[in-house]
Amino acid sequence: MSYIILPDVVHYACTCGILKPISKLYFCRHCLELRCGFCVCHEADSHYCDKCAENLPSSEARLKKNRCGNCFDCPSCHQQLSTRAATVGPKNPDDPKAAPRKVFYLLCLLCRWSSRDVGIPDQAAVSGGWPERENIYAHRLQEIQDMYKAIVLSDKQQKLDKDKKKQRRYMSFTDRTGITASMLRKRIGWPDVPNPLLKAKPTELNNKAIAKEEVEEFPEDLLTSPVNLSLATTMEQRLVQPEWQPTTIDKLFPIHKHLSVKRSQRCRSCEHNVSKPEYNPNSIKFKIQLFAYYHIPEVRIITVEPLRAGKVSELLLKFSNPTQHQTSITLFPYKVDDVIACEDNRTEVISQSSEEKGSGSQPSSITHTSLTRQPSITIKPRPIKTRVVADVVVPNASFVLPPRDDAAEYDDSGDAHNIQNDPKIVVWRKSNKAVIKLQVTPNSDLNIGDEVTTAFTIQHIYINTITTVENKEPQKCEHKVKVFLTLGNLVGGS
Amino acid sequence: MEMQDTTYDKSEYVETASGNKVSRKTVLCGSQNIVLQGKVIIQSDAIIRGDLANVRTGRYCIISKEAVIRPPYKQFSKGVAFFPMTIGDHVYVGERSAVSAAIIGSYVYIGKNVVIGRRCVLKDCCIIEDNAIIAPETIIPPFTRYGGSPGMEVGSVPECQQDLMIDFTRSYYQHFVPARIL
Repeated sequence: MSYIILPDVVHYACTCGILKPISKLYFCRHCLELRCGFCVCHEADSHYCDKCAENLPSSEARLKKNRCGNCFDCPSCHQQLSTRAATVGPKNPDDPKAAPRKVFYLLCLLCRWSSRDVGIPDQAAVSGGWPERENIYAHRLQEIQDMYKAIVLSDKQQKLDKDKKKQRRYMSFTDRTGITASMLRKRIGWPDVPNPLLKAKPTELNNKAIAKEEVEEFPEDLLTSPVNLSLATTMEQRLVQPEWQPTTIDKLFPIHKHLSVKRSQRCRSCEHNVSKPEYNPNSIKFKIQLFAYYHIPEVRIITVEPLRAGKVSELLLKFSNPTQHQTSITLFPYKVDDVIACEDNRTEVISQSSEEKGSGSQPSSITHTSLTRQPSITIKPRPIKTRVVADVVVPNASFVLPPRDDAAEYDDSGDAHNIQNDPKIVVWRKSNKAVIKLQVTPNSDLNIGDEVTTAFTIQHIYINTITTVENKEPQKCEHKVKVFLTLGNLVGGS
Repeated sequence: MEMQDTTYDKSEYVETASGNKVSRKTVLCGSQNIVLQGKVIIQSDAIIRGDLANVRTGRYCIISKEAVIRPPYKQFSKGVAFFPMTIGDHVYVGERSAVSAAIIGSYVYIGKNVVIGRRCVLKDCCIIEDNAIIAPETIIPPFTRYGGSPGMEVGSVPECQQDLMIDFTRSYYQHFVPARIL
């Protein structure tokens, strides 16, 4: 809930060092690391229109300049335009039996701009058929674009040629055997066949821009006629149509609606997907959803006693286990230069898991194909800059969180898990949730009104259910996450 | 933050067999046209205009104080017609919001003092921020956050919004408890 409205008070440290609420984090179960939106690769899966929910292939989307062909935005207030119907007299008014004709026009229901305002003729069909405006400089722009593309290509060609010349100093095996046709041609002194895709020379522009000696005369009426600001367009109205940039409101024409994308996100280190939505634009389901909210224990602040500098306050935290497996949570104090923990958040508990499953000869999970894929990009974790100004006394013991059970909501018969609670730590417990009591001491050098932030590391047992060829058993791993809590402001001194 | 208990006066609220909690101080016009699927909370001074057209809500909907749910109308050449309004599951409507949408999907959060124009379509998993004014006939796609006046897209919604809203409305229902008599 805090993720929707209330201020974010609990942050998790992503592997890259950014602090984010758990709802915005991903958990790659192949590298067993937290990922945030800044350390995943975003890929556009499909293009669709927000309004009509029509899917477009990416090539068609590019052709249409990433805009929908049927839906329009208001050029005046940028809201969605809707189609209105109006009836006009029949085509031949002399015939009394002729049915009245229906015509359609576009209307903005917010600012009441309509396509009739700028003289766009009404259409006979509900959608489509609206006149497209052609930029008078479109041809010239295309010409310039083509010229620059040719320059880029010829630049590339020149670079390639340079590299080739450098290589010639060394004798290669292909040179000796002389197999390639290009080599042969060179040897007998014929010019190399140029790649047909690469144009030799950039095409010159037919008509270059020439500076004019004569400029238009200053229009006198700019000074004489009274200014009517209600006829001029605003900056936003101009910039939303960069091709036309209308200066007066009679030149405002409906704008084709921008397309949206469905995007999938990929872990940068192992290139596995962490999020992949379904193709249908209206669907909210995912094919792959490795969100941290479904894998990492969630921490919530219940209450905190008023914070005083140097004084101990009681802090109640609620932990909940979102996974289908029982987990055990151990808290560790937060260290500022926690480099080792930063780089190696995970330690496989191989011995433990293999003992439990009774298969001592299991290969180490480190040699898993899924876990040892070469990272394409290695991301160096950034240092976390948030100042931690309060100490938390972490309990030495760990506590167990039972698996999440959706049916528990309808079960009123207390707790059947028979978990031995340490009454010093666990205050309350229900299904997959437990409330933990901790002691917080804000630093004594704080002033009244300062924001108090504290942090600790939680280690939880994560059951990795990915099965590989060598290993069919779920893997048990210990995963560490740093959690930052914003407890509120200091209320009084010591 | 963990949600705090919201207390209510037990004599003020009616609780149905399916778990709906409806305040006696609400204005429910045409109650035979209003369908509440269960575990729905309708707080005091809320108005639901069932007399205009059918209003159908899903499970775990929360209609806050002084909110107005009014089926949308459309103007035709011969007068106006009202259209039924459907609301999905796990939807929250904030205080003093006026809603005339045609369809509200599931897992939608509507903030305080919001005006949603007639015949809007709110797809699943969207958020309307406090004080937003949404123009009539706007279609709000999934996973978008709308805000401001006029309402524009201001951001995105985390992908786990579905579970966040389920958790939010469920715990709101659980924390909506009668005041203890001391």
